[in-house]
Amino acid sequence: MPDVQPLVSEFVLKLKRRKVEGSHAVARQTAELLRSVVSQHRMGSTNQAAALADAIRGVGEQLIAANPIELAVGNIVRRVLHIIKEEDISSTAVGIEGLSVTADSDDEYDSGNDDHPTLSAAVLAAHARNALRAPSLQTLLEDIPVNTGLSRSASSTGDSDGKSGDKSSKSRKLKHDVIAAIGDLIDEIDTCYDQISEQAVEHIHQNEVILTLGRSRTVKEFLYAAKEKKRSFRVFVAEGAPRYQGHVLAKELVEKGVQTTVITDSAVFAMISRVNMVIVGAHAIMANGGVIAPVGMNMVALAAQRHAVPFVVVAGSHKLCPLYPHNPEVLLNELKSPSDLLDFGEFSNCMNCSTQDGTLLNVVNPTFDYVPPKLVSLFITDTGGHSPSYMYRLIAEYYSADDLVVRRKSTSS
Amino acid sequence: MEPHAAAAQNPNPTPNASAGPPPISAYYQTRAEHHAVVSSDWLAHAAAAAASLPEADAAAAADDSAASLLSPGSNGGGGIEEFNFWRRKPEAAEAVAAIMALAAVIRSSRATTMMELEIELKKASDKLKSWDATSISLSAACDLFMRFVTRTSHLEHEKFDAAKSRLIERGEKFGEISLKARKTIAMLSQDFISDACTILVHGYSRVVLEVLKLAASNRKLFRVLCTEGRPDRTGLRMSNELAALGIPVKVLIDSAVAYSMDEVDMVFVGADGVVESGGIINMMGTYQIALVAQSMNKPVYVAAESYKFARLYPLDQKDMTPAHRPIDFGVPIPAGVEVETSARDYTPPQYLTLLLTDLGVLTPSVVSDELIQLYL
Repeated sequence: MPDVQPLVSEFVLKLKRRKVEGSHAVARQTAELLRSVVSQHRMGSTNQAAALADAIRGVGEQLIAANPIELAVGNIVRRVLHIIKEEDISSTAVGIEGLSVTADSDDEYDSGNDDHPTLSAAVLAAHARNALRAPSLQTLLEDIPVNTGLSRSASSTGDSDGKSGDKSSKSRKLKHDVIAAIGDLIDEIDTCYDQISEQAVEHIHQNEVILTLGRSRTVKEFLYAAKEKKRSFRVFVAEGAPRYQGHVLAKELVEKGVQTTVITDSAVFAMISRVNMVIVGAHAIMANGGVIAPVGMNMVALAAQRHAVPFVVVAGSHKLCPLYPHNPEVLLNELKSPSDLLDFGEFSNCMNCSTQDGTLLNVVNPTFDYVPPKLVSLFITDTGGHSPSYMYRLIAEYYSADDLVVRRKSTSS
Repeated sequence: MEPHAAAAQNPNPTPNASAGPPPISAYYQTRAEHHAVVSSDWLAHAAAAAASLPEADAAAAADDSAASLLSPGSNGGGGIEEFNFWRRKPEAAEAVAAIMALAAVIRSSRATTMMELEIELKKASDKLKSWDATSISLSAACDLFMRFVTRTSHLEHEKFDAAKSRLIERGEKFGEISLKARKTIAMLSQDFISDACTILVHGYSRVVLEVLKLAASNRKLFRVLCTEGRPDRTGLRMSNELAALGIPVKVLIDSAVAYSMDEVDMVFVGADGVVESGGIINMMGTYQIALVAQSMNKPVYVAAESYKFARLYPLDQKDMTPAHRPIDFGVPIPAGVEVETSARDYTPPQYLTLLLTDLGVLTPSVVSDELIQLYL
C-alpha cells in the first residue's frame, strides 16, 4: 500500500532519531499508525485476514527495527495482530452459524461424520477458540492443524465464494471491526493511568512513607489519586541522576500538597529503613516478570529487598512484553550521550585521542536497568495487581503465541 | 546391564521389604535400557522384539498381540505387551509407549458405547500404571490420554465409530507429537544459549541433547560440562554424543559440581517428571546441582516435554514412590552398612529459573496452572 508508506517512513525516522520516546507516546503513535495502515489497506477477495496481518507484520518489522529498545512498539504490533485474528475468528464463527455450513466443510473431519454439519460447525468454533489460546496440555492431543486461524479463514472464504455480494460486506465488516478494536486499544493506552490510579488507595495507607526514583507519569498519577482520596503520606524522591527527573516529580507533588523529600540516588540505602513501600514505574515488563526500568532501579530493588520493603511496579498493559530477556543489561539497553553526565570540555585534557591507545577516559551513560523478577513484590497494571510469576497469564491473554516473532511471512496465494 | 536386560522381559516390581537387597524398580530398568552407555544393549532388545513379532508392520503386529491379549475380560493384560514392545524402541519415550498401548486397547476393544470403552481403558491404564508405579511419565501419559478420552469436546458430537477411530489416530500420532515437542523445545531454547557460554548438564537427557545439537548446528560456540552421572554413567554417554557433534565437552565427577560452578553460565537439565508445584523429579543429583547453582546465582533451565507434567505434589524428598537402582561401589560393602539406592530426587520450584517446554517458556508456577486447567 503506497499511500501509507510515507507515514510509516516518517514514524520510522522519528523512532530512529529518538524524537518519540517513552513507552506511552510510542505505544499510542504506533497504534494510530497501524490503524491508518488498516484503514488504507485494500481488502483482497480471498484470505483477507491473512493479507491484513501480513501488511501489519511488514510495517511492524520496520518499526521494531527502527528502535528495538522501545519494546512498546513490538507490543502494540503484536496486540494488533492478535486483534485481527480475534475479529476474523469471531466474524467467521458468526458466518458459519448463519450459513449452517454445507456438509464436509472441512477436510480434517473426513472420518465419516459428514452427516453432522451443524455439529461440525460447533467443533470448528471450538477449534477457532483453541487457535487463539496459547498451547496448553489440553490441546496437546487435540489435532490443531498448523496455522489454524489463517488456513481456516482461507477455507471459509472459499466456502462463501458463491455469494460475492455477501463477501464484500463481510470484508468491510472485518476491516471495520479491526479498526474499532484498535480504537479501543488506543483508548485503553490513554486511560491506563486512571485505571491504575484507581487502585491507589488500596495500596497507600495513612502516614506511610513511599520511596520512588526518577519520574514516571504512572507513579505521579498513582500518588495524586491517593492524595485526592485524602490520604496523607510522605514521599521520598530519589532524583534519578543523570536526568534528574526526580526534581520534576518533586515539584509536581508539592503543588498537589504531598509532603516530599528529595534525596540523592546514593542515599536510597540510607533512607530505605524508614520507607514502607517503594513504588516505581517501568519501561517494560518482560514475560518472566523481570522489569526494564530507568537506570538505578536495580539498586533500589536490592535495597528494598534487604529491608523487606515491598517493591511495587506500576505500569500500563502496553508495557507488557511477551519476550524473555536474554542478557538484558546489554541487549535491551541504550547508551545515551555523555553530555548528561559532563559538561562539554570538562575532561578535555583527558580526552586526547592522539595517544596511541586511544582515550583513557570513557564516559558511559546507560538508560536502563534490568530488575530480576524475584526482587519485584507486585505489579499494578490496569487489570489489577499481579505477582511476577503471574505475568505469563496476562501475556497469554493479550498476545497469540505465534506472533512472538514479528516477521513478514512470504505471501501465499 | 546384563541383569536388567534379562529382567526386562517381565520386570513387575514387587516391593518386598523382607527380601535382602531392595528390588530394582522397573523405572530404573527402562532408564538403563534407554540411557545405558552400551547401546548394543538396545539392539539386542530390538532384535528380540522383532523376532517375537515377525510381522513387518509394527501397527498390525501390535494390533494382533493386543487383540489376543485384550479381548475384554479374557485377562487383565491391559496392553502391557504392547507397552513393552514400544518401550524397547530407543527413540520412543515411555509416555509414547503408554499411549500407543492404550491406542491398541481401543483398537482391539469390542465396546459399543463410549462408556464401555472408557471403563476398558481405565482398567488398562490402571494395569499399566501398577506395572511400574515408579514411572512418572508413564502415569502422566496415561492420565493425559484418559483425560483426552473423557473430556474432549469434539468426541461428544461424533458417532461412536468416528470417535473411536479419531482416538486411535491421535494415539498413534503421539509418537510424532513427542518428537515434535523435542524439536520445539530445542528451538525455544536457542535464545538462551549465547556464544561463549558454558553449560552444565547432568545425566543423559534426549531433550537436552536435542537442544545442544541444534545450538551446535546453528554454529553457536559454547562449552559443555557433563557430570559423570554415577552409578549408571549416563553423563559419560552424554559427553560421548556431544563430543561426536564437535562440541567441546568436559566430564566432571558428580562431586565436582560446586568446584566448577563458577565457570558455568547456566545449568540445563531434563526431567523425569514435572510436578504440580512446578518442581521437577529427575536423576539423583539434580537437587544438589540446583542448590549450588542457586547459591552462585546461575540460572537453572529445565527442558521437559509437556506430557511429563504429572499430578503429584511431593512435600519432600521421601514423599515419592521410591525408584531403586543397584550401585556398584567397586569394593564389597561391609555387612551391616546400608546403601542409599534411590535413583532420583525432587528439586523444588524455587531453585528452577525457567521450564522450557513445548507449551512455551514457562515459569514454574505455570505448571500447576496448566494441570489445574486440564484436570479441574
